[in-house]
Amino acid sequence: MITTVTGRRVLALTAAASALALALAGCSRGGTPSDGGETDGPAAASPGITDTTLLFGINTPLTGTTAGPGNCTADGAIAYFGVKNAEGGIEFGDGKTRTIEIRTYDDEYNPEKSASNFNQMVADGVFAAGLGLGTPTNRAWRDAAAEEGVPQVLVMTGDPIFSTREDGYMTLGLVPTYMQEGAAFGEALVADGQPHQVAVLYQNDDYGKGYVQGFKDAIEGESNIEIVKELSYEPTASSLEGQITELAATGADVLFHAVSVTPLAIADLQKVIALGWKPIVFLPSNTASPGGILTPAGVTGDTFPGVYSAGFAEAAAAPPFAESEAGQAYFEAIAEYVTGHEQDGKSFPHCVWSWMGAQILEEAFKTMTEPTRESFYEALTSITGLETDFGFGPIDTTVDGSPAVQTVVLQKFNGAGYTNVDVVG
Amino acid sequence: MNAVVEFFGRTWVRGVVLAIALVVLLVLPLVSDPHTNQTISHIAVFAVAVLGLNIVMGYTGQVSLGHIFFVGLGAYCAIIPIYYWWGGSLAEGAIVIGFVLSLVIPGVVGLVVALAAVRLRGLALAMVTIALPIIGVPLAKRLGDLTGGNEGLSIRRLAYEGSDGETYRGNPFGAPSWSGLDNDQWQYYLAVLLALLFFALAYFLVRGKFGRAFAIVKANEAVAGSMGIDPYRYKVLAFTISGIYGGAAGFLYVVVLQYTSSETLSFGHSIELVIATIVGGAGSIVGSILGGAFYVLVPQLTNAWGLSQYTLVAQGVIILLVLFLLPGGLASLPRVIRRLTGRRRGGQHVGSRERAESTSGNTKN
Repeated sequence: MITTVTGRRVLALTAAASALALALAGCSRGGTPSDGGETDGPAAASPGITDTTLLFGINTPLTGTTAGPGNCTADGAIAYFGVKNAEGGIEFGDGKTRTIEIRTYDDEYNPEKSASNFNQMVADGVFAAGLGLGTPTNRAWRDAAAEEGVPQVLVMTGDPIFSTREDGYMTLGLVPTYMQEGAAFGEALVADGQPHQVAVLYQNDDYGKGYVQGFKDAIEGESNIEIVKELSYEPTASSLEGQITELAATGADVLFHAVSVTPLAIADLQKVIALGWKPIVFLPSNTASPGGILTPAGVTGDTFPGVYSAGFAEAAAAPPFAESEAGQAYFEAIAEYVTGHEQDGKSFPHCVWSWMGAQILEEAFKTMTEPTRESFYEALTSITGLETDFGFGPIDTTVDGSPAVQTVVLQKFNGAGYTNVDVVG
Repeated sequence: MNAVVEFFGRTWVRGVVLAIALVVLLVLPLVSDPHTNQTISHIAVFAVAVLGLNIVMGYTGQVSLGHIFFVGLGAYCAIIPIYYWWGGSLAEGAIVIGFVLSLVIPGVVGLVVALAAVRLRGLALAMVTIALPIIGVPLAKRLGDLTGGNEGLSIRRLAYEGSDGETYRGNPFGAPSWSGLDNDQWQYYLAVLLALLFFALAYFLVRGKFGRAFAIVKANEAVAGSMGIDPYRYKVLAFTISGIYGGAAGFLYVVVLQYTSSETLSFGHSIELVIATIVGGAGSIVGSILGGAFYVLVPQLTNAWGLSQYTLVAQGVIILLVLFLLPGGLASLPRVIRRLTGRRRGGQHVGSRERAESTSGNTKN
């Protein structure tokens, strides 16, 4: 008897649930309104842009081990557009003045979070996204962005795929590729005209291989440069003393040191000094900091015949920066608009890069003639000769395969900071 | 309150609640917006991952800090055959191969690792399991030609050659045209239905002979031995099943994201899974779902509320609150309510049921 009653209840409730389900299924999904693409009037505005505002998304690591540089990738743009918004906004190419709203998304340097953040950005209706840090975290939503037609621009990764123009993809890199940095050193070495023997140590991934590739391309066919030995290591290695000793034994007069791990870079330089080896040293931009790498390693201005690095923006930590007018405006904006955590705008170079990225975005906003993503991307990839506050050369976004910032300058360590030079020697 | 709790304790009511939940799950994607569907699909992925971890940690009481390795390995096993073979002569068969490999290979690796590792206990076992993601990331980078290394493999716009020799781009997990669904709806059904299947299997596993054996091994290995249950064998079994579930989550990861890279295997994510297991409720099926929801929703909510810099703080606060207020995880909330209301009324009936449930260990849900 009880079973029957229970059975009836189950039946009744299941029926009710089914009815509910049918009712739910009856209401059609809130479909997208037809995009009146065939009308003759001005093009329909893309999502995320109104007559007074534009929403830009930054998907970057804000927490976790990469949080320091990650926060910086957002802070520079937040500060820059904070100032512009306070002045009333930016006048776009279509004659309307809009304020720029930045929304940040924390991906924890996790590709899965990053891809899921992109879905959230689409739901939030961002007009365009970018400036975020990281190769895998940007790769994770590159195809999705292409599918949704969202521009993924000025991303901070040396991965050349973002700067390669490809049908259906609206992507652009901001920072020079690893290859460009390696090439800058190679060219300067060639220009020196003296015979050089080069010992190469590189990280066995896209980072290290990129540097070496750029360097090799630059010295190809030049008789005065010879690579005498190439050694690699895995990023997880705990010591490179063996490699350094082996390279020192070649007696090469140049050490090309494509190492990205800070403790390894310090230990390597200490080992070079201990061995009495005195090569010209090339360091990648992220492991060349005077305070973070050279001083702890005991390198002074005359330890080596020369310590070189490649750079593409002024260092906020260097004294001349804070004394310049643009530098003061930068620090004031950071202090005023960046909130919520301790960011001084100079612990990581990414804050300055983000500021430069914001200037490039502003230029694209000023020249886009229609409130659409296509018009924005076209404007963004047609910029030439734009001078940014802290870059070493004009911005040129028109070259297929090159990121927005192309001017890479060779810098020589002078005992306290870096000065720009043209040739090695 | 007590009456409500008692009402939901009845078997037939539970059955109906489950039926309604299933119907809602099936109908929801047809009416909700894409982001909701994508979010639920994400939760399904990590609910399965947390469930796998729960089998070894929650039900069998063994520490595993390397579970993300199985998820990442499963993702590679799923995506590599699809990346290289899909669209060719194998067509959709590549997906089937990917699915089978994503269960078999992590299962075999789980078995092999467990054969050696479970001779250890406690911290020593934890150390060995930590080694998996620590080895996994550089290994995936070293095999970059196959795995795409740090840059990863994306199959969302996979180029393939059609029968007419032209090159096309397609998404192996895009909705087929006969279904009449959008991509997000199709992926939702794939992910949620497979997740439901794995949850159903786990439900019967932990309630059956093996589940009882796991519970005894967890409670006291000496007692287990005296009852003719070989703790070693059952621990190896739990690790193997956990590996298979990790691999299944890896397959679902590919279904939902259509991307993976060496970063997926990173050790930090493994700890996040352990945290999700504890917050959801160790040794609980419902807790696994709640753990997956915690893993996915907290970052989304902090992003949505403009607090994206405080994701970790928010997670930390929730963990502490759960540890202090609900040591059994979010899944123990109904039991805590029942206990509190039962105590206030001095209800003999409810109290005795609570005791019965808490001592049997493996019948929690």
